[in-house]
Amino acid sequence: MKIPSRARAVLERLAGASATERILISTAALVLSILLGAVLVLVAGRMTTCTAGEAVYYFGTGFCYDPVVVFDRLFLGALGDPFSGGWSPNGQFSVTLRETTLLLFTGLSVALAFRAGIFNIGTQGQMVVGGMATAVLVLWASSLVSGVVGTFLLVPFGVLVGAVFGGLYGAIPGFLKAYADANEVITTIMLNFIATGVTLYLVSGAFKDPESAANQTVPLPEYAQFPTVLFGGRQDFSLVALFFGVVAVGALYYLLEHTAFGYDVRTSGIQPDAAEYGGVDAARTIVASLTLSGALGGVAGAMYVMMILGSFQSGVPSYGFDGITVSILAGNNPLGVGFAALLFGVLKSGTTVVQFATDVPPQLVGVLRGLIILFVAMPEFFRLVGKRVTDTGSKVVATDGGAPGGDDDE
Amino acid sequence: MDTAVHLNGITKRFPGVVANDDVDLAVERGTVHALLGENGAGKTTLMNVLYGLYKPTSGQVFVDDAECRFDSPREAIDAGIGMIHQHFMLVDPMTVTENITLGNEPRKWGGLTVDRAAARDAVVDLSERYGFDVDPDARVEDVSVGEQQRVEILKALYRGADVLILDEPTAVLTPQEVEELFEVLEELTDQGKTIIFITHKLGEAMRAADEITVLRDGRNVGTVDADGTTREDLAELMVGREVLLDVDRPPTETGEVVAAASNLVVEDDRGVRAVDDVSLDVRAGEVFGIAGVDGNGQSELVEALTGLSAPESGRIEFLGEDVTDTSRRRRIESGMAYIPEDRQERGLVMDFDLVENALLGSQHSPELGPNGRIDWSATREHAESIIEEYDVRPPNPDSISESLSGGNQQKFIVGREFSREPELVVAAHPTRGVDVGSIEFIHERLLELRKQGVAIVLISSKLEEVQGLSDRLAVMYEGEFIDVVDPGETTEEELGLLMAGEHPDEEAAGQADTSGNQAESGDAFAGGEHA
Repeated sequence: MKIPSRARAVLERLAGASATERILISTAALVLSILLGAVLVLVAGRMTTCTAGEAVYYFGTGFCYDPVVVFDRLFLGALGDPFSGGWSPNGQFSVTLRETTLLLFTGLSVALAFRAGIFNIGTQGQMVVGGMATAVLVLWASSLVSGVVGTFLLVPFGVLVGAVFGGLYGAIPGFLKAYADANEVITTIMLNFIATGVTLYLVSGAFKDPESAANQTVPLPEYAQFPTVLFGGRQDFSLVALFFGVVAVGALYYLLEHTAFGYDVRTSGIQPDAAEYGGVDAARTIVASLTLSGALGGVAGAMYVMMILGSFQSGVPSYGFDGITVSILAGNNPLGVGFAALLFGVLKSGTTVVQFATDVPPQLVGVLRGLIILFVAMPEFFRLVGKRVTDTGSKVVATDGGAPGGDDDE
Repeated sequence: MDTAVHLNGITKRFPGVVANDDVDLAVERGTVHALLGENGAGKTTLMNVLYGLYKPTSGQVFVDDAECRFDSPREAIDAGIGMIHQHFMLVDPMTVTENITLGNEPRKWGGLTVDRAAARDAVVDLSERYGFDVDPDARVEDVSVGEQQRVEILKALYRGADVLILDEPTAVLTPQEVEELFEVLEELTDQGKTIIFITHKLGEAMRAADEITVLRDGRNVGTVDADGTTREDLAELMVGREVLLDVDRPPTETGEVVAAASNLVVEDDRGVRAVDDVSLDVRAGEVFGIAGVDGNGQSELVEALTGLSAPESGRIEFLGEDVTDTSRRRRIESGMAYIPEDRQERGLVMDFDLVENALLGSQHSPELGPNGRIDWSATREHAESIIEEYDVRPPNPDSISESLSGGNQQKFIVGREFSREPELVVAAHPTRGVDVGSIEFIHERLLELRKQGVAIVLISSKLEEVQGLSDRLAVMYEGEFIDVVDPGETTEEELGLLMAGEHPDEEAAGQADTSGNQAESGDAFAGGEHA
């Protein structure tokens, strides 16, 4: 009783942060995490040995790693060096957008479930199932059509297959929660293992490409994959897929904020008893939101197959789990997922650039990445910092947080 | 006489609202001073100023004739002010002693560790001095709400408070606990402590206070001597106009049976039969009241009627159709409005603003949610009209429900449910926690609906309310209707006995089985606490 009211007060203040404040908060968080990261890079640079020629000098001391270079590569490198003239649509920027596209879908998947009060850890499994189904069914369908017409038919078909199979896989924990009271955290984690295991079994047996040593399906023909537009065919990125992602962000926002179904979802998510009172069928809402969440995860799988790999292969990267971080970073808000996915995409893609361009060990780059996300994800601390910044020079602000006319009586 | 606390011209503005407007208040040492006012009159704000939680926009605070400018409650505590909030600030898993001494523990070993024995002794001393009944070693989560409140008072005393502010201290207490509290207050003032007591209940102010200051719209509209005033005068001061404390219920023509339940059996969460073979019917234009001590199955009966829980057996009819298995949503859509007992769990989504809450239950309606799309501008207008008509304060549709006081939350729910153009209204404690002016208004609206031919099921533990409004009155005891009476022909004493499970006339009991009743239930009912 006592603690939650305090936590609520914190949240209220957070919710009360204005748009300017929010931007300041994020900026302050980013700057501070970079400063702290720079110190770590310098310290690590003192602890290794390198030749005098390789070292950089700050404050009269030599360091083996240069934080300026590291962060320059991490961010500008990820954006494909827009200021150095060598920018090309086939460059690193399309890697960033490729990662962003997948994270958009997995982030939205987690966010939707979160809004319904459900912790869907199973996005990864839903993505794997959706991806496998897409690879198999699109391969089958690609024998029926071909060429440009094939692309127009097969790509939407593949996305649909991913959504349907991911959705069905998400519906399983939904039914278990709604009608058997099974905790979705447990069921979705377990279903992740099952998804990985079963797809590995299938892709190393029945659906294995006989001509490949790896456990993968027969590659899809070129026309059955996402077409490259303007950007990066070499980097496995398709602007069409990103467009799908942006549409999904807008659609999910609209769904949550402007439809009765979204209202039902949000109400059940924060106060199930009130939702029930308002005529919301709790069981149906749980199943529906987990199905939709799974469908979004499944689409991520379809994108992975039809945009990046061109086939399904065992060992799908952890986009689904990264989706949890993206969603939390975004406060489970669909529009926020857009920004969070981009930040995450930049960091993921920038990491490889840093490894390429410097001798900084990959573990240290991982630490820098973690710091940035950690800092951005703890807004309350930075809200205070941000407030300091906004307050200097301006007049005193009433900060008592009192509800206007707020009489707390019963 | 000497003045313990003197507030001089306190004004407190929040963006867009003046919560306190030039309020003067003088409290004599060793007295109980009640601060009376409607929900949102600015009582708590004024006391938060005294307690250092808010800084006044203008005005001065004097404690013991010295001007004080408190920047924080800590400074107010050091000046001898203690405040007991409506929601207790206790750490549940810790003991009473730990809670009382928290932050000011006696130390030993050069301050390295807490001297538990000394702390316990201090608590025992304090509670003996004021005659408090508390177990110093009990965990707070294990003791009653009344005892938790005494722990809060002891905590303030332990910190050296001479002036104690109690914010709506009776809201969470049973009638017996209220009496105990008043005895405690008497003991405290006898020993020279000063009490400021925030309330919106006339009876309590008259009963416990020496002096009463009435706030209305943030202004002090009068300080009166508790012995020299009447409830009617106080009500008028609070509301600013004459208040009809008695309900005038003109006879109406009743129509068809709108809702009926037959042989209803409902189990509670633990699988215990909470409603045991109850039958009722309510006609258009009729108020069917259900009286009873809380916890005798009224809640379970209401949840079954409104579709929030499924009965074990029995049948529910609404507008001539069997709705026993019909979903909650269908029942809402076919014209069943429900004012729930628990407004903060059921009636409102606390994190939503009032616009979003105005939609609750209507999200699939053709007016606000046509074709699955929500018409937010229509919803906003709907919220604004509820706020205006039911005088919800602050009058801002964007306020988060959580930030509203309990009474204003209740007014909003009542407004939303009444505006559904219902065929049946199930109202569970519709005026609980609401101030007198609004009680009168809600009662008027209820009777207006009755006149328009709406069927009403009214549940209340306030005897005056059910007796005054109902056309027929059932008394519920241990899951059964012990009797259904004509409220005009039955005295309060007879009802009280029925509520305690004693049927005076066994023959007339009809359906009710009273043979198993013992005289064990001496529980008082909270009848008549609100004017």
